[in-house]
Amino acid sequence: MPNIPLPPCQDGSPVTDADLAALLAGKRDAALRLQPVADVLAALTAEPSPGELAGEARALAEFRQQNGAPVPRRGAHRGAAKRAPRLGTKVTVAATGMAVLVGGATTAAFANMLPAPIQRLAHDAIGAPYEPSPQHGPARGKPAPPVPLASHGTVTQGAKTRSPGRHSKPHPAGTPAASPHGQDQQGSGQGQGQQGSGQSQEPQGDDQGQANPDPQGRPGDPHPAGLLGNPHASARPAARHAPHRPPMNP
Amino acid sequence: MIGEEFASLLAAAQGGSEADFSLLWRDTNPALLRYLRVIAPGAEEDIAAEAWLQVVRGLRSFRGDEQAWRAWLFTTARRRAIDLARHRSRRPEAPLDDLTAAQLPGIEDSAEIALERLSTAAAIALVSGLPRLQAEVILLRVVAGLDTESVARLLRKSPGAVRVAAHRGLRRLAQITADAGVTL
Repeated sequence: MPNIPLPPCQDGSPVTDADLAALLAGKRDAALRLQPVADVLAALTAEPSPGELAGEARALAEFRQQNGAPVPRRGAHRGAAKRAPRLGTKVTVAATGMAVLVGGATTAAFANMLPAPIQRLAHDAIGAPYEPSPQHGPARGKPAPPVPLASHGTVTQGAKTRSPGRHSKPHPAGTPAASPHGQDQQGSGQGQGQQGSGQSQEPQGDDQGQANPDPQGRPGDPHPAGLLGNPHASARPAARHAPHRPPMNP
Repeated sequence: MIGEEFASLLAAAQGGSEADFSLLWRDTNPALLRYLRVIAPGAEEDIAAEAWLQVVRGLRSFRGDEQAWRAWLFTTARRRAIDLARHRSRRPEAPLDDLTAAQLPGIEDSAEIALERLSTAAAIALVSGLPRLQAEVILLRVVAGLDTESVARLLRKSPGAVRVAAHRGLRRLAQITADAGVTL
């Protein structure tokens, strides 16, 4: 394209402020004699070049750091955010279940509620009472009530055996270990603080496997969750459950 | 400029949406770099990165429309540029307002550039040849998209002074392009 020199003011008229204002407003047809200037201004606002977008990664990294983990676009996903709490809850539930299990097993041992062979082992190991009797067996008395969970009540495993009655289900060794609330054996919720609330649930067995992290347990219950067992706990349970009740097999 | 979508875009970015922040960044960073290329040549990328860092940190507390948003970004960048200049040897501020277009530095290069197909870089080079205030005003009005009042606050000048500087700058550009024979 040939270069055609343009006189400063082709038509002799001065450039007015209105012309300049029109230029700044982006109106290219408002001042034709200023077209070259309009071209300059248009070039200043042209599409970005790749080099002008090269720093995006750095800016985004800073944004992420400032905001934590990247958040999906508006509208997208809240699932990830919600998953975190559930995961933490499951872990809590599992831990509580295990604690209850251990506590239940110990308590059952001291309550002389375990199957004879196991009771004997417990006697040897931790000094639990050992009184071999026909009553020792899978179904002993009142299966401990389900242990309610503080937050949401979903127990990980064994939640199924809730109902004390029904549970006669053999926890494989009739030990609490089979269920999250081994309480079955105790039937008194002793120690299982959690079971504290269990009492009322005993008969229903609809506990939903809730383990209440409430460490109080029952009055007189020496151990928060009875986790460590109480050598003297046997008295209580004995008073509470009906040891001679025939097992109710589901 | 984003326009009507700006409010929702900003809200989402403030809520942590990376994708929406990216849109904000892409919309303004090129203009920011072009502005900085004139007022702080050679350091535009570093200054822009520092400005964005500061903006990201204050993003959630920002309140305003798109004009305010751009004004905030360019103000932040300008302050960074000033801080950088203070660490360097100061250049004498030559009173360029009284010089004619022909006496402006780089006029020969401008003429060469004017003969080429006009590109963004060439346009920036032409504007860079203007006195500092005129160049800044034109860039902030045209490239940053700020109105006269916003530019006045940013530069700590009166709106009238901003208008005068803009018009003088445009007249100088008209003179330069006329003398250089810019192709259309």
